[in-house]
Amino acid sequence: MSGDAVVTVEGVSKLYRRMASGFRFRTLKSALLERSLVRDLEPQEVIPAVREVSFSVAPGEAFGLIGSNGSGKSTLLKLIAGILEPTEGRIAVDGRVSALIELGAGFHPEISGRENVYINGAVLGLSRSEVADRFDEIVAFSGLEDFIDEPVKNYSSGMYVRLGFAVAVHTDPDVLLVDEVLAVGDEAFAHRCVHRIEAMLARGKTLLFVSHTLPLVEDLCDRILWMEDGFSRMIGEPRRVVDAYRDAVAQAEGRRHREEKEEAETEAEAEAEERPDRWGSGRARLREVRLLVDGAEGYALSTGSSAVFALDVEAEEELEDFVFGIAIRTPRGVEVWGTNTELEGYRPGRLSGSTRVQIHCPDLRLAPGEYAVDLAVHARDGAPYDYRRGVFTFTVSASRSSTGVYEPRHRWEFGPGVEWDETG
Amino acid sequence: MLARLLRFRGLLLILTGRELKARYRGSFLGFFWSLVNPLLLLAVYTLVFDIVFQARWGGAEPYSVFLVTGLFPWIWLSGSLLDATGSLLENSGLIRKAVFPAEVLPVVTVLAQLVHFVLALPIAGVALVGARLFDYPVGGWSVFGLPLAMLVQLPFVAGLALALAALNVHFKDVQDLLQNLLTLGFFLTPILYPLSSIRQVPWAWAIVAANPATPYIQIYQDLLFAGVWPAVSLWLRALGTSLLAWGFGCWVFARLRNTLVEAA
Repeated sequence: MSGDAVVTVEGVSKLYRRMASGFRFRTLKSALLERSLVRDLEPQEVIPAVREVSFSVAPGEAFGLIGSNGSGKSTLLKLIAGILEPTEGRIAVDGRVSALIELGAGFHPEISGRENVYINGAVLGLSRSEVADRFDEIVAFSGLEDFIDEPVKNYSSGMYVRLGFAVAVHTDPDVLLVDEVLAVGDEAFAHRCVHRIEAMLARGKTLLFVSHTLPLVEDLCDRILWMEDGFSRMIGEPRRVVDAYRDAVAQAEGRRHREEKEEAETEAEAEAEERPDRWGSGRARLREVRLLVDGAEGYALSTGSSAVFALDVEAEEELEDFVFGIAIRTPRGVEVWGTNTELEGYRPGRLSGSTRVQIHCPDLRLAPGEYAVDLAVHARDGAPYDYRRGVFTFTVSASRSSTGVYEPRHRWEFGPGVEWDETG
Repeated sequence: MLARLLRFRGLLLILTGRELKARYRGSFLGFFWSLVNPLLLLAVYTLVFDIVFQARWGGAEPYSVFLVTGLFPWIWLSGSLLDATGSLLENSGLIRKAVFPAEVLPVVTVLAQLVHFVLALPIAGVALVGARLFDYPVGGWSVFGLPLAMLVQLPFVAGLALALAALNVHFKDVQDLLQNLLTLGFFLTPILYPLSSIRQVPWAWAIVAANPATPYIQIYQDLLFAGVWPAVSLWLRALGTSLLAWGFGCWVFARLRNTLVEAA
């Protein structure tokens, strides 16, 4: 890496270490009782947040970080700020770092803005008098003159950012780390911040900037690092990196849409497969079912032809409680017609041995299309003996096409003034 | 650790000041409220032991004056540890999201409690002067050793505070356990009774004498009550315990430091 770099990041990885899965509920008592004190303090689960990232930033450079949520940008900033320690690799920062990482970070909610400014200054290494010297400037920049003695818990998120930014830039850092927070402030304040940052850069100070506001990053930064899954995907000239990132986001978005659609389709199929098409206790069985068209077995008919649904039934034992049923559905599951002996007033007496049941439809006026048939024999309370769903399908064709499922007998009649060149 | 704390002394002072201000919140009476608790304890123990039980221990007359000299340093210890234990979790916003020296927080609670201790000293002073007026041979020039006693006790309190604060981030019941341990510790420290009074019961004497908090209390009792300069061996024991506790606290804190940010 170049010798005059202000920030040097070399092969840095960060693994977030989780304690044992139930670690939120761990108690010292149980740790002592189970003699697992040492083990409980060992990390159990490791989540890589930043992986083998290297880059360096020169004085006066504005360096941008972009990438989707969870890509490791903020972790990287926290590492550079020194809030987190890298698991592997080396980070060197030459000079004083001021970090504006998260909304309200470093503020104590219960105490006044004024005291928080002093605390922040002290954390950044300024003495009380140094903070006092800059205090008026800080307050003026933040525009919070009227609220500076209020506890900061009463501040709006915009006010948090104003104060945080004001403190961060007025402590005169050599390196300023800013994470997204500018998006919270209003337009005017954002302008003031950008202005201030540009002035800092002109004085040879360095900026590391994380944002999802791509035009702002592109505009402000000299170089951009695009992070993906903790890896550094691309470093370089802003325009090029932002364009590549946008492309990738668009592609991923398209892929996600396709995947979601496919997933929905396979789910529907799986669901259809899971449903059995025959069930029941088997006390009576539909041994064979056929469609007879004009007296012969066939599964293609035309609108208005006569059809017979023929069921060969066999009762395992003598039954006194039985109902025969039929339903015709479209392939998409819309029921066209359904009935059973119970609905039509047949009181069951006795069913025994092998026999035949036929449903005659002398004039089946279905619209052209494909239909599926469910046939069943069951008890009067609905308990199935043999329920066969989609047991066969048949097609209805017609010389003339129509839509829907039903074609009533019909004719057209026209008054005077309606003339046709040709009639059906 | 010490170097870091010294580097952030400005922060220590500001935060300690804040802590005190929050306690005494603006009102002049606020300061007196902070004296109510020790005074109440003092009154209750005096009532129970001196008046109800009519306990008479050699070398503990007048009883309430004897009590004051041990009770106030104990309150510094127990109050500090109780406050420090929760200090990291209460301020997790500071240490997770900003560049913040976490070790400052438990030390701040110790310093704030030290200020309470100092502010309560006039009560002890009044008690001593009062006892003198009744010709009890308490106090004397040795009271000027008081700052030294505090200085020796400080690393003991701060070390334990650091260790407890860091452990509490990982084990949420440290605070509850501590509460019980402190209650036990209070009775196993010669505060309500002089150590010499249980010499006839060797096992009890052994336990109390082995209590690491005992030498500190004895030093205060020697300086303020008995009016004698504590034996060199007593000073050395206290100093040794302090250095051990400080070393232990720094070691625990340093070991857990990297996990604090992620777990707090």
